[in-house]
Amino acid sequence: MNARILVVDDDTALAEMIGIVLRTEGFEPFFCEDGAAAVAAFHSAKPDLVLLDLMLPGMDGIEVCARIREESGVPIIMLTAKSDTADVVKGLESGADDYVVKPFNPKELVARVRTRLRPTPETPTDSLQIGDLVLDVAGHEVKRGDERINLTPLEFELLLALALKPQQVFTREMLLEQVWGYHYKADTRLVNVHVQRLRAKVEEDPDNPRIVMTVRGVGYRAGSIT
Amino acid sequence: MRYFDWRGVLDRLARLWRSSLQARTVAITVLLSGIAVLIIGSYMSYSVGANLFDARRGQLESTSATATLAGQRVFDTAAEQVGTEDVDVTMRDAAVAISNAASSGGNTGFAILRTPGQEGPVTPTPILSLGADEFISDELRDAVRDSSDPRTHSQSVALTASDDTVHPGLVVGSVLSIRDSQYELYLIYDLVDAQETLDVVQRTLLLGGLALIVLIGAVTWVVVRLVVGPVRLAAQTSEKLAAGQLEVRIPVKGDDVIATLARSFNGMADSLQSQITRLAALSQVQQRFVSDVSHELRTPLTTIRLAGDVLYDQRETFPPTTARTAELLHTQVERFELLLADLLEMSRYDAGAVDMETEPTNLVRLVEDAIESVGSLAESKGSQLRLVAPGGYFEADVDSRRIRRILQNLLGNAIDHGEGKPIVVWVDSDQTAVAIAVRDYGVGMTAAAMDRVFDRFWRADPSRQRVTGGTGLGLAISLEDAALHGGWLEVWSAEGQGSCFRLTLPRVRGAALAGSPLGLPPDDEPPVDAPNDVPGGVRHA
Repeated sequence: MNARILVVDDDTALAEMIGIVLRTEGFEPFFCEDGAAAVAAFHSAKPDLVLLDLMLPGMDGIEVCARIREESGVPIIMLTAKSDTADVVKGLESGADDYVVKPFNPKELVARVRTRLRPTPETPTDSLQIGDLVLDVAGHEVKRGDERINLTPLEFELLLALALKPQQVFTREMLLEQVWGYHYKADTRLVNVHVQRLRAKVEEDPDNPRIVMTVRGVGYRAGSIT
Repeated sequence: MRYFDWRGVLDRLARLWRSSLQARTVAITVLLSGIAVLIIGSYMSYSVGANLFDARRGQLESTSATATLAGQRVFDTAAEQVGTEDVDVTMRDAAVAISNAASSGGNTGFAILRTPGQEGPVTPTPILSLGADEFISDELRDAVRDSSDPRTHSQSVALTASDDTVHPGLVVGSVLSIRDSQYELYLIYDLVDAQETLDVVQRTLLLGGLALIVLIGAVTWVVVRLVVGPVRLAAQTSEKLAAGQLEVRIPVKGDDVIATLARSFNGMADSLQSQITRLAALSQVQQRFVSDVSHELRTPLTTIRLAGDVLYDQRETFPPTTARTAELLHTQVERFELLLADLLEMSRYDAGAVDMETEPTNLVRLVEDAIESVGSLAESKGSQLRLVAPGGYFEADVDSRRIRRILQNLLGNAIDHGEGKPIVVWVDSDQTAVAIAVRDYGVGMTAAAMDRVFDRFWRADPSRQRVTGGTGLGLAISLEDAALHGGWLEVWSAEGQGSCFRLTLPRVRGAALAGSPLGLPPDDEPPVDAPNDVPGGVRHA
């Protein structure tokens, strides 16, 4: 079955062009031109991934992103005209998994979409431990004791990457390559923001992390199993 | 032990002197008027004293003359009445008469002395009151003795009173003639009453002078305060204005010169405020324009880019002409995109809307990455890239995105103009700075070209074909990027010998640069084929 992709962009020409590109790559695109209608479109289309323009009429792209994130962990990729403004960070903080800067080329867009839709990498075991958490790889579940913690697929993958190699210190660049699929220098803010979001969910005290540890000047590593 | 901090007091005074116009004015006024009062007071005191003394001396001399006459009369009478009378008795009578006559002048002692060197019997015996002889100097006696006229002579002396205080005194001498012998009469007067009068006058003068000086100081303080107050207010207001409080004004009172100052100051502030507000609005419009252009232009460009790429990917299925068209569309859209990105970056710099995101970065690794990223391009031009890194392995606080952009730019230029010769990248550091130099041994530039190399859209040789497809803004942006870091981007070049661009950055963000760890060009062994002599360089930024 083809993956369903919801394209939320007020520029119909661009939306149509993105649709053509996606269709040639074997995806099934759906369209929405208005921010206010985006959440309803999300409900009706039930997409596997959302491409979301940040500047939208009706409702701000960041707001739309936050609304979708409230009810679903579906991957969201932002389309933005500005790469180095606070908008990008705001978008990531409101739950977007990744972003593409306009003007982008088709390969770039498709690569981003494919990375976010790829299946979770094969793991030798079904269950992993990190700190006081248990990861059920097959079930895409994280539990602290009996309490289930809701993570988006990206957050799960980030945690899984750390848990698979508990001895390894991951630089931001390594995480960008493993989790986001960037093979060249990319924006390390992606890692910073998502580690923050992940910590807010899994840490008992996000200011004093025990699961995702910071290694100063290098990056992150998994907290020891307790 | 209590320690009095003289230096501190002096420092405070010096600071007060420098900082307070009021204190300085008051001090100068008090000092100058003090000197004037001192001169006038001294003169007045001296002249009053002299007058007082002259008057007293005149009075005492006439008293003495009267006393002399009285004494002489006693001797004359005695000589007429008896022949050989007891002259010593007469002498005592005369002394009493003289004392009576002189007592009105404050007489404290007297002496009747025989002029030495006369023949005949030494009668009567000279008499003198207790201690009187010590005040009678030889000069006075000589003066009295030698005068032929009966005039009196006087001399000032210091008398020691019974309570050990020293009083001014006057000794008046005159000549008596007793039984054909010449005697000298000396009368000693105490001038303490005149001295007391003089003291009172001097004290009054001193107090009056001090009061005058204090008064002058106070008046000056008040007057200076009246003048300095508005000036100080103006200074405070302009400081506030400079600090960005554009709405502050000086209150205008009256119609005098201070009011004129206030009015013209306020006028200046008004025009300043309107100018700044206008410029701020303009800058905001500019920034919003840049942001709008960024979005409005990028969305259609994205569509064009996607469309062009879709066509380009299918170009093999097109007839040759259409295929070439798709190719041209593809490359030119790419070029347009680069140009737009550079233009936006440049206008962001112009609008002052850039911020740095520094992070500790290993510069050698950054350079290695940059060299790797242009590796295939260098290979296609036949240039060999070499890294020489004696230093720079620590982490420096830089915006790695911007530094990478600078490096890619410099490397791209070096490959473009390097004529396939080796390109060397140096990295070195010292205590405060880190430097990266990119050296090629290609065509080089003239001095005139070197001056313009950082100009926007300037090209060394318009006819020269570019491989990297630069936009003409690369070095201008690099220069801004370097300046944003508080660093330098400098160029050295010589025609036929190649060029060298050196980037120097402070190790810590915000630190000032004193020098560069690398020479320009770095004095190192050049690769084969490279010339040795190095003319001077030009510094930018």
